[in-house]
Amino acid sequence: MIHLLQTGLNSADSGSFLPVAVQFIIATGLVAFLMFVTHMLGPKRKTTDKLQNFSSGIETHGDARQPMAIKYFLTAILFVLFDVEVIFFYPYAVNFKVLGWNGFWAVMLFVGFFLCGFIYILKKGALKWEE
Amino acid sequence: MNALLLSAVLGVVMMFSGIWLKSKSAIRNVAIVGMALLLVVNILEMSGMIFFRIDTKGMIVFDRFALLFDSIAFLSTLLYLFLSAQDIEKVGINYADYFALIFFILCGITLTSSFKSLLILFLGVEIISIPLYILTGSDKRNLKSNEASLKYFLLGSFSTGLMLMGIALIYGDKGSFDTNSINLITETPSALIVAGMLLLLFSMAFKVSAAPFHFWAPDVYDGAPTVFTSFMATIVKAAVFIAFIRLFEEAFGNLQNKWQLLMAIITVATLFIGNITAVFQQSVKRMLAYSSIAQAGFMMLSVYAMNAEAKEGLLLYSAAYSFATIGIFAVLIKMKDYTFDGFNGFAKHQPLLAATTTIFLLSLAGIPLTAGFLAKFYMLKAALGTGKYLWLVIFAVIMAAVSVYYYFRVIQAMYFKEGDPPVLQITPVFKWTLVILAALVILLGIFPNLLLTWYYF
Repeated sequence: MIHLLQTGLNSADSGSFLPVAVQFIIATGLVAFLMFVTHMLGPKRKTTDKLQNFSSGIETHGDARQPMAIKYFLTAILFVLFDVEVIFFYPYAVNFKVLGWNGFWAVMLFVGFFLCGFIYILKKGALKWEE
Repeated sequence: MNALLLSAVLGVVMMFSGIWLKSKSAIRNVAIVGMALLLVVNILEMSGMIFFRIDTKGMIVFDRFALLFDSIAFLSTLLYLFLSAQDIEKVGINYADYFALIFFILCGITLTSSFKSLLILFLGVEIISIPLYILTGSDKRNLKSNEASLKYFLLGSFSTGLMLMGIALIYGDKGSFDTNSINLITETPSALIVAGMLLLLFSMAFKVSAAPFHFWAPDVYDGAPTVFTSFMATIVKAAVFIAFIRLFEEAFGNLQNKWQLLMAIITVATLFIGNITAVFQQSVKRMLAYSSIAQAGFMMLSVYAMNAEAKEGLLLYSAAYSFATIGIFAVLIKMKDYTFDGFNGFAKHQPLLAATTTIFLLSLAGIPLTAGFLAKFYMLKAALGTGKYLWLVIFAVIMAAVSVYYYFRVIQAMYFKEGDPPVLQITPVFKWTLVILAALVILLGIFPNLLLTWYYF
């Protein structure tokens, strides 16, 4: 494997990657150095207020990991799904005239499948809120 | 093209049949009729009747190799549905949706078997993988199924990431996704091409569970509901192998002398790990999971050799392996106890089932007069045909001998031990399909040309 990569590298100019390597070393080195310095040099005064989670200045209460109704996730994920599908119409709208009838039928096919999915989730009761 | 469109439409039909049809047997019948239709339509395309002529801009090409493999996959799935469609009922409440997912997977399989562009390869692999993640976790209340699904999802999406990375690197060098233009490589390939090829190699090796990328396979195959393990370990695995050999022949064929040693090492590792670990298993289901890794090792030989025999042999191998493994899993589903001891005295109480299972096991072990023997023979012949690495062939033969041990343990338990294994309800259709499968395994073992002539005409 290594000899494979080397045969490849010989043809390209492997020396030209040196600045990239230097950049990598400086980047990781700087992060490590700053982390080290802040932990070593900064004063440590821990109070109960400071150790609390920061939530926009509002006092925290309860545990975040309590079970929530699946309905919220379902609605959210379906929203994302259909939202993204709608985005496909933008490029089509821009190229509407160029694509002609072929493009029109392609988009109709897309909308057809899209509608099938919509009817499916409706019939499956994914959007029924009261139950 | 017929099968590609029809399988996608049938997937949607199955989604809606779950809403409109109330009885489970009606849903099952729709699925079986749809599957048969898919097979017929694909065979019609092989004899020149193409219903849809769509300009794919050379991204998909349905050649003999692709069409014949699709037919094998559809036939296997049809037989699988005859055997196990009733058992899918027990997995969960979304009965029709499981069939819909199976049809979508078949849609992905037609894509991966006929791609000419790396984009289509990626699309096909994803269409195969995503429904599989769901099917693996379909037994929602079973912790093992959940664990398997999550593991499969995380590792699978990681390997898909590797594949995309590889495709991106190759595109960066060649400016094209087309396999033919990628293959126009001079003697010294650039670093981008080599790195991209290696990434593609790793991700494909992951998808076919070749060592050292096999770690997900035993847990996933063991944790998934047995009906879906059967589908996953046979038809899907064979389909990814078809994509594997296509990719390396069409996109990297000129670099064969560069990657051949790597492929040989992967083959040896897969054969070794699969066979040796299978020896130590106590559960038949887990043994079959390792056996599928071991069989993947044999199929890797065809990717390594990459000549005319290799392609013929891979088609025969995928048929032989799929038929036999589907049969064994179908019997396993009917058992209550999945350990080797669970098969004790099986022959006395279910002579027909035991006899067919024996034929399947003999085929997997590669005993003459079964399809498995000829399939292995073709693989070894192809590997010898390269004229390199004789040790690889010798090692493969030794490993085939090792595999006899764990396959025969099941036969031994069925015939030579006392016991009264509890078996679920067995229908006449189930029995007849098993007999047909066993007959196919023996028929292909005597006349492999019944299948292979289709490759040329």
